[in-house]
Amino acid sequence: MELNLEQDWKDIVHRCFRCGYCKFTYEFSDFNCPSYKKHRFETYSTGGRLWLIYGLISGEIPWSQGVANVLYACSTCGNCTENCRFDKFNDFLVDIIEAARAEAVINGFCPEKQKALIERIENSEMYNPYGEKNSDNEDLKKEYDLPDKAEWVYFIGCTSNYRQKNLRDATLRFLKKTNIDFTLIDEHCCCSPVMRTGQINSVKDFINYNIAQINNAGASKVITSCAGCYRTLKKDWLKFGADYDFQIYHTVELVKKLLDEGKLKFISEYNKTVTYHDPCHLGRHMDLYEIPREVYKHIPRIKFVEMKRNRENAWCCGAGGGVKIGYPEWSVEISKERLEEAKITGASVISSVCPFCKTNLSDANIKFNMNFEVIDLIEILDNIEFEISGN
Amino acid sequence: MNREVILKELEKIVGKEYATNRSEDLYIYSQDPGASLPRSVDFVVMPNTTEEVQAIVKLANQEKISIVPMGGGLTLSGLIIPVKGGIVLDMKRMNQILEINQFSRYALIEAGVTTGQIISHLNENFQDLQPPIPDAPPSATVAGNMLIHGSGYLSQKYGGHGAMINGLEVVLPNGEICKLGSCAVSDYWFDRGPIPDFIGLFISAFGTMGIITKLSIQLFPKPKMRDIVFGLMNSPKDIPNVLLKITATGYAEDILLGMQDKPEWMKGYIFIMTYITGDSEEDLDRQRKTLKRIYRKTNARFMKPSEKMKNLYLEKPIFAAGAADFRKGGGFEYVGAFMPLEKIPEAYEKGADLARKYGILPTLGSRLIGGVHTVVMFFSYSFNRADPKDMENAREALHETNKLALDLGGIPWKSELDGQKLILERIDPSYKKLMKTFQNALDPNKIMNSGNWEVN
Repeated sequence: MELNLEQDWKDIVHRCFRCGYCKFTYEFSDFNCPSYKKHRFETYSTGGRLWLIYGLISGEIPWSQGVANVLYACSTCGNCTENCRFDKFNDFLVDIIEAARAEAVINGFCPEKQKALIERIENSEMYNPYGEKNSDNEDLKKEYDLPDKAEWVYFIGCTSNYRQKNLRDATLRFLKKTNIDFTLIDEHCCCSPVMRTGQINSVKDFINYNIAQINNAGASKVITSCAGCYRTLKKDWLKFGADYDFQIYHTVELVKKLLDEGKLKFISEYNKTVTYHDPCHLGRHMDLYEIPREVYKHIPRIKFVEMKRNRENAWCCGAGGGVKIGYPEWSVEISKERLEEAKITGASVISSVCPFCKTNLSDANIKFNMNFEVIDLIEILDNIEFEISGN
Repeated sequence: MNREVILKELEKIVGKEYATNRSEDLYIYSQDPGASLPRSVDFVVMPNTTEEVQAIVKLANQEKISIVPMGGGLTLSGLIIPVKGGIVLDMKRMNQILEINQFSRYALIEAGVTTGQIISHLNENFQDLQPPIPDAPPSATVAGNMLIHGSGYLSQKYGGHGAMINGLEVVLPNGEICKLGSCAVSDYWFDRGPIPDFIGLFISAFGTMGIITKLSIQLFPKPKMRDIVFGLMNSPKDIPNVLLKITATGYAEDILLGMQDKPEWMKGYIFIMTYITGDSEEDLDRQRKTLKRIYRKTNARFMKPSEKMKNLYLEKPIFAAGAADFRKGGGFEYVGAFMPLEKIPEAYEKGADLARKYGILPTLGSRLIGGVHTVVMFFSYSFNRADPKDMENAREALHETNKLALDLGGIPWKSELDGQKLILERIDPSYKKLMKTFQNALDPNKIMNSGNWEVN
C-alpha cells in the first residue's frame, strides 16, 4: 500500500491509539525514540505527534509554532514504524509526520533553521543544503579520468561532496579499482533534507533534473555511498512520481556482490575492534541490515562486535529529519548516546555506511572526547589492500 | 498567584524543561485513548524525585489547585484527565528500579517504571523471576496498574495486582512523606504487615488519597515452560462448571475467556485459554491431557490453535491494544467489571445483547483472579475516534454496561466519573461516610484528583 500524500494520511492518522509501543525497543529495554527520550512529555512521542496532527486536521487545535516545533523535533528515524503494532498503519508513521511538516510549511510554520535548507538548495549557485558553491564534478572527472558516458553513475551526495570528502574520495578510489565503467554527473541535491522537512515545492524539478543528468550519462545503474541518497533515490523519488529505468545501489551492495562473485579479495589485515552503526535510512527505511555486516566480517583480522541496540532496534545517530540543522546541540547528544553504547562493546572504531551518520557521530566524538575512530566502511576498504579480478 | 507565576514556581521545582503550560502539551494531556470527552489541563509537570513531588503537592495545596497523578495514561476511563483543571503530574521520569530482592522476591521501584522496563530488566538480569503483567501496552506503569487494582498475567494463580503490593512510599495531600507496609518498620519492603494495613486506602483511589512515589511489588518464580490449552464452548452457561473444575486441578497459571462475533468462525463460541506451566514437556503433556478431559466432560471442546494464535497469547504483555484497531478507528474503551463467577453466563448473554443494541460488534472477555474468587469481565467497545457520534454511542454503551454490571452484582473497575457515581449511588451509606471522613482528614482542600470519588 502506498500512501497518497495529498489525502490518504489524513484519513488514517486517527488510528493511532497512543498505546506507546512506538517509544520502545522491541524488547522494551529502553526508550528508543530520541524525541520522547529527550523531552519525556507524551506530546513528543510519535503518538503525541499523531494526535496533534489529528487535532489540526479536525480543527480542534490551530497551527502554531509550538505544534510545528513538536512535529520537527523528530529525527524520522523510524523506530516507531518498527514497533507500532497496527498493520497497514505502522509503515506510514514517518510519512505522516513528513506530510504534516509539508502542511506546516504551507501554513507558514516551518522553523527558521530548517528553512535554510530549501533556501540553499534552491539557490542557483548552490543546489545543496550546505550553502556551498555547486560542484559540477568536472574537476573530479578529470582527476579520476572518468568518461562522459558510462554504465554507472556515482551519485556522490551533498554530504560526501561538501563535508565528507575523504569518504567521497575513498568511494572514487574504490570504484576505480573495481574497474567498473562509471562517471559523475553535475548532480543537484537528491532532496532528502527538504523532503524530510516538508519543503517539497520544488522537489519534482530536482528529481527530473537529476534523472535527466543520469540518463544523459547513458547510465543504467546509479551507485551512492550515502544512505540518505540511497533511500531518497530508490524510494522517495518514486513516491514523487519519478519515472526512471536505472537501478540504484549502495556501494556496500556492490562490495558484497564482488565478494560473493569471488572478484574481490581482501589481502591486508585490519586489526581493530569495530562496531557498526545502522543508518536509519539504510536499515529501518530500506531493510538493509545484513549486507554491511557480511562485508565487515570478510575483512581479515577484524574484530566485529555488535552494540546492544542493532538492526531494527538501532539507536539513531540523531542527524536525520532536519534535527541536525534544527537542534544541533540535541542532535550530537543523540550521537553521544550511540557512542556510549559503542564504548560498552570495547570497540575502538565505530563505522557506518552513511556520511551524515559519520558527520554526527564524529561531531559527538570530538565534543565529548569519546576517543573513537569514526570511519565509513568504504574508508576502511580504502585503507586496506585488496585484489580485484574478472571485471 | 496567576498561572504564569505558578508555572515559574513549578519550573523552580522540576526544572524549566519539565514543567509546561504550552497549548500543544495541554491538548495532549487533556484527553486519553478512551471515549471520555477532553477536559482542560492547566499544567503538566514531570517530577524526578519524591522531594519534587512533595514540593509540587505543597504548592498545589497552597494554591488550591487540583493535582492529578499519571502513569502510562492508559486506564482509558479518563482517570488522568483533570476534572477541575489543575496539574497533571506525569510520573514517568521517576523510573528507577531500586532493588530486586531475590530472597523475598520483590522489586522496589519508583512510580514511573513501565511494565516494559520491569519485564526487560528481569529478563536480562534475573531470568528466574517474573513480574505480574497487566493486559496493557508496555508503556503502562507498574504503579498505575497496581494502584487501579489491575489484573493480568499471574492473577489467576497469585491474585489481583493490587494485592501484590508489599509497600508504598506516598506523598500525602499535605505534602508529608509516608511509608506504608513493612518498610515503615524495617529496611525490607517484603510485606504489608503485620501492622494496621493502610495500603488499601490508596488502591482504586485514583490519586485522591495521595501520590505514590515508590512501591514494592511481589515477584514470582518463572517456570521453565509455558503453554496454553485452548477450548471452545457453545454456551456461556457452561462457564462456571468448566472454571471450577480447571481451577480445582491447581494447574492453571492464568485463565482467559473470550467471545466475539468476528471473524465469522468465532461467532457463537466462548473461547477458553488455560495457561499451564511446567519443567518438562512430559509435565505439560500430563496437564494438557487432564485439561482436555475436563473440557470434554464439561461441554467444552479442545481446540488446536495455530502457532500464530498461540504466540499472540503467550506474548508478554499481551497485545491488548490490538482491540483498539478492531475497527481501524483508533478508539477503544471497555467496562471491566469485577464479577462473581455465578453471574458470568448472564454477563456474556446480556453484554452481547447490549453491544448489539448499540450497533457494536459484541467483544467480551474475562480473566480469572485468584482462582474463582473474582472474574474480571470485559465488555469492549471499539469506536472511530474521528466520528463524534460514534464516540458518543460508545459512551452511552459504556454507561449502560456499568449499570448492567452493577445489576448483576458486579462492580465496574477503574471506572470513569459516571461509573463512579453509579457505584456511589449503591454503596453502603456507612462506607460512603467513611470515605468522606478519610478524604476530609487527608485532603481538606480537595486538591487530589478532585472530582473523582466525590462524596457529597
